[in-house]
Amino acid sequence: MITMKRRLSDAGDQPKVSTPKRRRTALEQSNGTLNGNAPNNAPSNGDSELPPSQLDQSTPKKANGVSATPLQQSGLKTPTHKSKARGLFATPTKPKSATAATPSRVKNADRSARKKSARVLFEHDEDAAWDGSERLAEEILQGDEPEPENPDQTVAESVEPDDAAEKGEKQPKRRAGRPKGARNKRSPTPEGELPAHERYFFQNRAGPNKTSNATLNKVPLLTHEEYFEKLEHYKDPCREEKEYLLSLHHRSFPQWAFEFDEGFSICLFGYGSKRKLVDQFAEWIYNHCLSDSANSPIVIVNGYTPGISIRTIFATIVTAVMGESAPTKLGAQPTEVLELLQSVLQSRPEDQEPVTVLINSIDAPPLRRAANQALLARLAATPRIRVLVTADTPNFPVMWDISLRDQFNLVFHDCTTFLPFSAEADVVEEVHSLLGRKGRRVGGKDGVGFVLKSLPENARNLYRLLLTELITGLDDGHQSDDEAPVEGGRSEETGIEFRMLYQKATEEFVASSEMMFRTLLKEFHDHQMITSRMDASGMEILGVPLSRDEMEGVLEDLVLG
Amino acid sequence: MDPDGFDDALGLSNEKPQNLGAYIYQPPKHAKASERPSKRRKVSSGANLDEKPDRQHFVPLLNGEENVESVQLRYDTYKQLWSKQETKIQNILESVDAGVLTDVLSFVRETSPQTCDGCIPTALVTVGSNVSSLSRLLSRLNGQLISAEEGSVVVLESGDAPNLKTTLKNIIRATVTNTDGNDGYQRFLTDRAGPRLLGYDLDLLHDYVQRKGTKKLVLALRDSEAFDPGLLTDLLSLFKSWLDRIPFTVLLGISTSVELFEGRLPRSCVSLLRGKHFEVQEAGNCVDRIYESLQTDPATEMWLGRNVTGTLFENTSDYFQTPEAFSRMVKYTYMSHFFANPLAVLFAKPTPTNLAQGRLPEAIRNLPSFRMFCEDLVEEGSIDQARNMLENDDYLIQQTVKALDAGQRIMRKLFQTVRTIHACLQYTQTGKKSSVSDLSVRALCGELYESSVVEEMLATTKALDSDKLYELLSDLHHIISTPEAEELLQNLEILLGSCSGPLRSGYNINSTVTKTTVVQQRIQLSKGRAELSEQDSQYTKIVDRLVALLQEHLTETLINPQDLFLHEAFLFDLRNPLKETFGPRPRFAIERALVTPFDYLLSSTDAATAKVSAKQPATAILYQLYLDSGAMVNVHDLWQAFLGVFESEEGKTCDDRVVMSLFYSALSELKAFGVVKNSRKKADHLAKCAWMGL
Repeated sequence: MITMKRRLSDAGDQPKVSTPKRRRTALEQSNGTLNGNAPNNAPSNGDSELPPSQLDQSTPKKANGVSATPLQQSGLKTPTHKSKARGLFATPTKPKSATAATPSRVKNADRSARKKSARVLFEHDEDAAWDGSERLAEEILQGDEPEPENPDQTVAESVEPDDAAEKGEKQPKRRAGRPKGARNKRSPTPEGELPAHERYFFQNRAGPNKTSNATLNKVPLLTHEEYFEKLEHYKDPCREEKEYLLSLHHRSFPQWAFEFDEGFSICLFGYGSKRKLVDQFAEWIYNHCLSDSANSPIVIVNGYTPGISIRTIFATIVTAVMGESAPTKLGAQPTEVLELLQSVLQSRPEDQEPVTVLINSIDAPPLRRAANQALLARLAATPRIRVLVTADTPNFPVMWDISLRDQFNLVFHDCTTFLPFSAEADVVEEVHSLLGRKGRRVGGKDGVGFVLKSLPENARNLYRLLLTELITGLDDGHQSDDEAPVEGGRSEETGIEFRMLYQKATEEFVASSEMMFRTLLKEFHDHQMITSRMDASGMEILGVPLSRDEMEGVLEDLVLG
Repeated sequence: MDPDGFDDALGLSNEKPQNLGAYIYQPPKHAKASERPSKRRKVSSGANLDEKPDRQHFVPLLNGEENVESVQLRYDTYKQLWSKQETKIQNILESVDAGVLTDVLSFVRETSPQTCDGCIPTALVTVGSNVSSLSRLLSRLNGQLISAEEGSVVVLESGDAPNLKTTLKNIIRATVTNTDGNDGYQRFLTDRAGPRLLGYDLDLLHDYVQRKGTKKLVLALRDSEAFDPGLLTDLLSLFKSWLDRIPFTVLLGISTSVELFEGRLPRSCVSLLRGKHFEVQEAGNCVDRIYESLQTDPATEMWLGRNVTGTLFENTSDYFQTPEAFSRMVKYTYMSHFFANPLAVLFAKPTPTNLAQGRLPEAIRNLPSFRMFCEDLVEEGSIDQARNMLENDDYLIQQTVKALDAGQRIMRKLFQTVRTIHACLQYTQTGKKSSVSDLSVRALCGELYESSVVEEMLATTKALDSDKLYELLSDLHHIISTPEAEELLQNLEILLGSCSGPLRSGYNINSTVTKTTVVQQRIQLSKGRAELSEQDSQYTKIVDRLVALLQEHLTETLINPQDLFLHEAFLFDLRNPLKETFGPRPRFAIERALVTPFDYLLSSTDAATAKVSAKQPATAILYQLYLDSGAMVNVHDLWQAFLGVFESEEGKTCDDRVVMSLFYSALSELKAFGVVKNSRKKADHLAKCAWMGL
């Protein structure tokens, strides 16, 4: 505790926030025995109560690293983003330390390169590792006799410490014996349980990227066919539990029907596809509630269908209600169709059962727009229409403001099913767009084959030509390059120059003029069967958005067919 | 795994309704085909007359052993009780709107372009948070105008007005269909002499107005702020130019303030309008009134407990709920009570023998309040009665019916007292007034009597002067009508008749006199009663009696409702169905499902540990790995970690392509949830977009 007192006398009213380690370092500095290579200096005075293990832990790096802070404050530029990183965590520095930054210290600071290097070393944390200056600094330091630190630097030394930062930096500080190039030392997982906001700040610390540089280039990505084929082999360990969960939801059907009867709309949320559940509910209503199914139809809407429009939904409901007598021309605006529906419903006899509309994934991108939601809300507010919607995303309630919520008149039920979103999402496509590998899909091999079948002979020949050229190009590249370019990501990069293909095409009597050649290419373009890009010299390079296997498959079909 | 089930799970079954946008449901032909026709035949043979009773709205409770009559009774009682409450609510809503409605109506009737110097007559209605009130107002305005054959109201929402043409077309169509229906509109378009006009030609509207002899055409913009200002300007200037032929009146619903709204419009547009400002009452008031009438009405049979009340008001104040939404939540509590509580059948006052059958007696004996009741009986020494209650079903049912009645009486008294206190507070409380709902919540906790509000009230009552006290007493007279209170009032009247000017009680601050005496150069302050006049002291006595009366009344009636036997039947106090159904936490639900999937999947194996394991659904595994990562995620590393989870458990048998396809589906789900997005900073990296718990 003597050390503590001593520090206090040094530091005036500095808060004593430092860890024992720090205490030790303060002591070392005041002793003037700082030595880069001798961390185990025997304590000279009064701190014999410190356990030896603690002494072992303390390293001079640490001590100096801390002392570097005041230098920074005195206007010296540090080579790292450290100031920013500190900004997130550090307790506000006291003006005290600013006064401590005397001109003499500034002079001291840039006195020598060695000193600067020392600072680099002391600040050594994840950031230092990244610009490589540390190694150099270490060399400089080791070749030299370290000189005692300016005593008043110890004053400010106690200012900086901060728990969170320290936690994060603990790992990188163990510098000794770190393998070369192992930079990614800072764990993204904080130690222990942090409250949510702390975790956020922890994971959003400023600084360079701490992730590895590995890419997926060497991992073959899945095609549509393979995805479905492989998924078939998966045996779901939770199958029974999922079925049980679904059966629990079944028990709520009478309750939902009652809520329907009392004029509420229903919203099902929770993790998992609820399409199956909705289907079963439709069947249940059909069997248990409806006396006259012809006049009280159930309409199911799949909100995830790409290109679905509100007008089609309304039109389907109108045809469901009116049957044969529905007018052939409904009007182009969804509101017109809705008003027609409303007037039809109004003219129906009182005792008829209402129309049931079940909407899957109301928060899917095609329906997500505010205008669409407003229209759906008006549908839900229409008397004698009962609406059940399901929502999959976590933040769907933000789609509705109070007036929409009022119109919808929803009651919410947690219907977690854990079922896969198989119909809702085009999994492979989604993942590839997430990975930035867009345009890989043209409907895959089959899609291309299908389009080719419908094209004239000439076009097929041109495509065959293109594929042959590309594959030979790939083979050549393969021989010259060790890295197999066969894998998904690479095939896009290979291509054939526009002029060359044209030349070949004329040679093979596929196209007689450039005009005709371009027309053929345009057809491919429209079906996304080719890609085109400019290379560095401004030449147009044509490629095919298929993997090599797929290209070979298509070529085979072309030649054989 | 059977192929059928798998196809199902994948959504790959033969006919694919899931790929259609919208379709009419057709029941599957297979499987239950045998079961369904028989059911349908029964219905058709039973003639369409008595279908309603055929369909059970409620499910038998008590493990499905509840008898059919009870189930039906519950449903009927629900219908009956709620319809009463609903009429009450409707009346309140109407009375709240009545003031504004008459104002607006007279404005519409009295103003015309002539009275407005050729400008468009405009009613600006600020609704504040009470959004729904405007549509109520408009529909009633519409009804009144149509029935008086003066004109009609056309409601326009911002969604109807994407551009000028469509807006005009919508206005014209809505005007015509409002009175003539959809067919009328079609006929109107086709049955005209001369060239066919386009749907957005205001000549059509002119024609219509002439045919109908419309004097007022009110065009109401529900959410004026949401309209595009440019469009609004065009629209208004167009109206202005047609004003000599079509009698427009514009009604603007404004939820911010008139100044803000005006600020958004160009001055040229504002100068076209001339109007008046109307204000609709705030929702909060309305909700308080609804609550008061629901709870304190002497005819009420079922009450909302403190938890429910708390949730109701929390929602109202936090989310600007409309009075309608409020009453719907109340409706939902009624629904839940009658749907799920077998005791609710007691409300129907059925014959005891009917109830004694089945398992209802058993259910009653399982009530916590029954247990307390029996313990009390034993303590009181009526052991026989307790034994009877436990053993004799018929006796139990008889007692239960009585207890229900008694309990309801007590509850009614409780709420009468709440009203009493509320009335008193009008006289005694200065500054912020406690509302009935605040008082009710305390009363429902059984804490009202000890609360500071009541203490203060009694203290202030003592100090009231005679005039105020007289008002208070005559007010209370309507609520507490005991002979004692009558007598007090009479006494006071006599006393007041005999003197002039207000009397003060001995507790009034003015009746205390501070004496200052100088004793041995020290100032001594002593307080003492001022001499009270004869009348004042008489008055003080009356005050004392009144306060005593009040205190007695309060102690008697302000009990904790949770102590009553059978409170489970007439007091609905479950926080949960209400909170969860109206205030969902979908994000929490999804996060929970993904972090601890076995909360939902009741697993038989002991995999339910907190660790990530291959036994969990793929998305859950990936999400947990994702949680551990930083703001940037390397997909390759993520994939390796994901694969590692499977490899470590399945060893060599695991096929990494299968795992890859799981990885794909999991990743696409995370993307759909908006949890990750592509990061442009580095190749094959994802950016984290959501932090759990924030």
